[in-house]
Amino acid sequence: MAALSEEVLLVVKRVRQRKQDGTLYLMTERIAWGPEGKDRFTVSHLYADIRCQKISPDGKSKIQLQLVLHTGESTTFHFANESTALKDRDAAKDLLQQLLPKFKKKANKQLEEKNKMLQEDPVLFQLYKDLVVSQVISAEEFWASRLKLSSVEHSLSNNSKQEVGISAAFLADIRPQTDGCNGLKYNLTSDIIESIFKTYPAVKQKYAENVPHNLTEKEFWTRFFQSHYFHRDRINTGQQDIFSECAKQDEKGLKSMVVQGVKNPMVDLLSLEDKTLDEGYGSLTVGPNSSKTVKENSNSAIIKRFNHHSAMVLAAGLRKVDAPSDQASETSSTDGNSRDSDFFQPPIKKVKLQEAIEYEDLQNGSGPKTIALNLKKSDRYSHGPVPLQSHHYSTSQDIINSVNCIQEEISCYKPCLTRVMPSSAASSAITALSPGGLLMQAGTQQAVSQLVPTDVQSELKHLYTAAGELLRHFWSCFPVNTPFLEEKVVKMRSNLERFQSTKLRPFQEKIQREYLSTNLTSHLDEMIQAAYNKFHAWQTRRMARKT
Amino acid sequence: MKLNIEGLLVYFPYDYIYPEQYSYMLELKRTLDAKGHGVLEMPSGTGKTISLLSLIVAYQKAYPLEVTKLIYCSRTVPEIEKVVEELRKLMEFYTKETGEKNNFLALALSSRKNLCIHPEILHANIVVYSYHYLLDPKIADLVSKELAKKSVVVFDEAHNIDNVCIDSMSVNITRRTLDRCQTNVDTLQNTIQRIKETDAAKLREEYRRLVEGLKEANVARETDIYLSNPVLPDEVLQEAIPGSIRTAEHFVGFLKRFLEYLKARLRIHHVVQESSPQFLKDIYEKVCIDRKPLRFCAERLRSLLRTLEIADIADFSPITLISHFATLVSTYSKGFTIIIEPFEDKTPTIANPVLHFSCMDPSIAIKPVFERFQSVVITSGTLSPLDIYPRILDFRPVTMASFTMTLARTCLCPLIVGRGNDQVAMSSKFETREDFAVIRNYGNLLLEMSAIVPDGIVAFFTSYVYMENIVASWYEQGILENIQRNKLIFIETPDAAETSMALEKYQEACENGRGAILLSVARGKVSEGIDFVHHFGRAVIMFGVPYVYTQSRILKARLEYLRDQFQIRENDFLTFDAMRHAAQCVGRAIRGKTDYGLMIFADKRYARADKRGKLPRWIQEHISDGSLNLTIDETVQLSKHFLRQMAQPFRREDQLGLSLLTLEQLQSEEMLEKISQIAQQA
Repeated sequence: MAALSEEVLLVVKRVRQRKQDGTLYLMTERIAWGPEGKDRFTVSHLYADIRCQKISPDGKSKIQLQLVLHTGESTTFHFANESTALKDRDAAKDLLQQLLPKFKKKANKQLEEKNKMLQEDPVLFQLYKDLVVSQVISAEEFWASRLKLSSVEHSLSNNSKQEVGISAAFLADIRPQTDGCNGLKYNLTSDIIESIFKTYPAVKQKYAENVPHNLTEKEFWTRFFQSHYFHRDRINTGQQDIFSECAKQDEKGLKSMVVQGVKNPMVDLLSLEDKTLDEGYGSLTVGPNSSKTVKENSNSAIIKRFNHHSAMVLAAGLRKVDAPSDQASETSSTDGNSRDSDFFQPPIKKVKLQEAIEYEDLQNGSGPKTIALNLKKSDRYSHGPVPLQSHHYSTSQDIINSVNCIQEEISCYKPCLTRVMPSSAASSAITALSPGGLLMQAGTQQAVSQLVPTDVQSELKHLYTAAGELLRHFWSCFPVNTPFLEEKVVKMRSNLERFQSTKLRPFQEKIQREYLSTNLTSHLDEMIQAAYNKFHAWQTRRMARKT
Repeated sequence: MKLNIEGLLVYFPYDYIYPEQYSYMLELKRTLDAKGHGVLEMPSGTGKTISLLSLIVAYQKAYPLEVTKLIYCSRTVPEIEKVVEELRKLMEFYTKETGEKNNFLALALSSRKNLCIHPEILHANIVVYSYHYLLDPKIADLVSKELAKKSVVVFDEAHNIDNVCIDSMSVNITRRTLDRCQTNVDTLQNTIQRIKETDAAKLREEYRRLVEGLKEANVARETDIYLSNPVLPDEVLQEAIPGSIRTAEHFVGFLKRFLEYLKARLRIHHVVQESSPQFLKDIYEKVCIDRKPLRFCAERLRSLLRTLEIADIADFSPITLISHFATLVSTYSKGFTIIIEPFEDKTPTIANPVLHFSCMDPSIAIKPVFERFQSVVITSGTLSPLDIYPRILDFRPVTMASFTMTLARTCLCPLIVGRGNDQVAMSSKFETREDFAVIRNYGNLLLEMSAIVPDGIVAFFTSYVYMENIVASWYEQGILENIQRNKLIFIETPDAAETSMALEKYQEACENGRGAILLSVARGKVSEGIDFVHHFGRAVIMFGVPYVYTQSRILKARLEYLRDQFQIRENDFLTFDAMRHAAQCVGRAIRGKTDYGLMIFADKRYARADKRGKLPRWIQEHISDGSLNLTIDETVQLSKHFLRQMAQPFRREDQLGLSLLTLEQLQSEEMLEKISQIAQQA
């Protein structure tokens, strides 16, 4: 029945599908259903194809589980075993709940996204046809840089993708209500749970540890709401509470935050006072409050908890923003740049002081604020890129000198009348160089668009975009400092060659046949040649290094 | 630009100037010309510091023989650092303009860690340090006593200077202090015993040196070389050291007796309050200690500790404290009170006796400064009412002026909220402060403001305990949770490190657009040292009138003293004190003309003329009759209107000619006429 290699995780009998009795199987990679008495599956879905599962609400007569696929189709299973239907369904649901996220990888999403991109962007689609369909480069290579680009664009264009922060009042939205019989009812939505997890990672950890092994989800949240942890004014004394550990962890976190101190020296109250009076001097002697009433203790607990809560909410909002920027700096540090940027950041204290004494309106032209230069590699900045050829650079002094020289020469310029051209030759030269003249014909835009038929033009355009794309891939490999890049650069070179032979050559032959100026493709050739040169230079250097 | 201030060329390191800065410099110059003292109030954010520095440096350069040194005192480390930064800017401007290399030496002392080398302070043209270096006799004696007479002393942020003076002269003695003293005395005794066995000559030498030292000090004081020290009274310098404490051993014995006496005094069950003479009488009757040796105590101990070459002076701080107490109590028969409390008022069951030796007269500590230096300038953003400072500090200023902030747009909006929407009066006064309706109305006010004010709101409460109670009750009523829908909440705690973190997070939340509320306490560290510029404070709410805790015996004694000695009525002083703190709190949000903020006084008592009249003029003049006894709704309406107006672009052109001047504009007759009206002489 099932392939031998597949491990069956769960078998549920008496499950109806389309009013037919049958058996439901949950395997490692797919879910399947076969009608009673037949040894084949009529329904089989890979987990990766499933977008989500839905269950019928409690109390409904039919106990059902619905699977919604990415394609939009859905399959409904009806658990028909009267005595254990609910249990069966929940078992299947729980298992699916654990399995689905593992398969809910980006794969499908990416495919969808790629499709969408190709549909939306005709130029891209053309490029795809030119490069991938004609097998110049593989689809993988094509998308490798595209997707990254698109995600960057998305985050830049700031549309709906922006991470939504957490409302500071999310706990208030729970709104306990009395249920009329000596109990409280809390409204908990998945958003709130998400918020709680994001803000209090300790609770999330507890959840992962305890649910569903020790507690059901419901029990977990019930305990949460009963805990001292949730009620900020209660002082944490009990040890039996699973959340007492969270409170302790919070306390620890709070303490470590406090110990770390603040980055901005202007808000550091500890170093505010230049000199506190020696012990025993001064008129105010409110010593350490040794004797606090319970009420006061609970009040200060509330205050502490509020500070902590706000700090956590703030941090949860920032964490998301931090992550990608971290990644970015990591990738940039792998490209051979050392991370000595910290060196060059002006000390924060100085900056803050300058800010504090600045009167923007008293100063002239303080203009828009400039951003401090953030150097990844300082020596590169101070020396600049070292030219490969020995170039002669002129200093500004040189330029000034030469301007002076020229001025002087002009001032004492005397025409040498014996060597002057005849006037007829001069005027013909001027006509030739005027617009429309003999020498001005080549290279003007107008001429090309008029000379070349439109179909050739559009083909040329496609060639340019395709070549540009390939070259972009090629040049992005430099500097070649990882084995992966080495491999890629070699591949890119062969891609270029293939492009030249399968696309460029035929086109060149075509325009030759049509007696058009071969100039049209010379720039393309140049660009490709430049890439070859670079590749060649790199290869010889590599060979030299190897031997 | 280069300014002509009544014939003095002043280099001012900016392209434009505020009219009030010019006016301020005029007054300052008149003070220096008259070689007298001055009291000048000018709102913060109008460039007070740079005006001060520019003028005094120019004065020093023009008349190097008249003013040799500027001693600039400020209160907090960041303030001191800011002054240094501004000074640097000024010096760079000088170098740029004159092309000369700067030969001005400026010195900043901040925190004892990098205490400068003493001789350098004598040569510096400008010294910037904290109040304590001049006002605390223990430090002043080490750092400042040789500063030249022809110095100009500036106390910036001086609105609390009386409290600094009082603190530096007050002593508290607990049982623990005495126990540690006992250890000190034992160590002293052992050390003396050991030295006596090995090096008796050294001890004899010690006494000789003591006498020599005092003689020198006397000569110095008579010839006016040193800043006098209130803990080293004149009598000590002129009289012979009494026989009873002449030798080291006798002195240690004397200390022991004194210590025993103090221990006995702490063994009481009821509160005792007495004057210095009463204390002296009692000590004479009980243990036969005379006034005279007590007076020598501090100097005698200093000499002894020096001779014994004790490495760690800090270990001997308790006995030093006691010796200072002895000298002060026997020197000043007036201006101090002794209160012995057997326990804290809140916890009458736990014995924790404390002897408070409280200074009630701030003029004692500051007297040497006024007497020694030719010009002392007291300045701050909030010094109202101006005339009270000369009274409580006992000096005669030649200039007293309050400057307003010239504004092209009214960037501050003081509103007095007296009622909730239910018409219940809002007030933090004792009878109603626990009132449910008041607390709820306060909560509603904050809630409503949190919905309309962008970015940061700072709220101040009258005391920490009051804030705790209100926060708890807001929590129970769910008000805080509703506020959280609009902004994050951060709260000041008694722990400075915790509060620093909360502050930083608060700023972060304002910075990233989320917006936050900081709940804080008047007279707390935040209210005294942290500025909330621009979006860090678009509104300040002052919940209640921040009266000092009036039940304290020390305060009562001080009020009595003020009444008897300076004819200042208790209520006047309390209101003055409350209003200066309220002004400090609300002033935290406005730090310049491009800044803007709401100032919400949430207590109906602010509407009364006796309260309102004690606010600085630059705040007072913007309180109209229409903003006196508002309800919450009215406040919200006015605030919305104000905020919408302020959100409009504000350019330099809007200010030019009104609140910002070019050199040409400044020089016009008409403008000079206007400027002369900015300063209001008290």
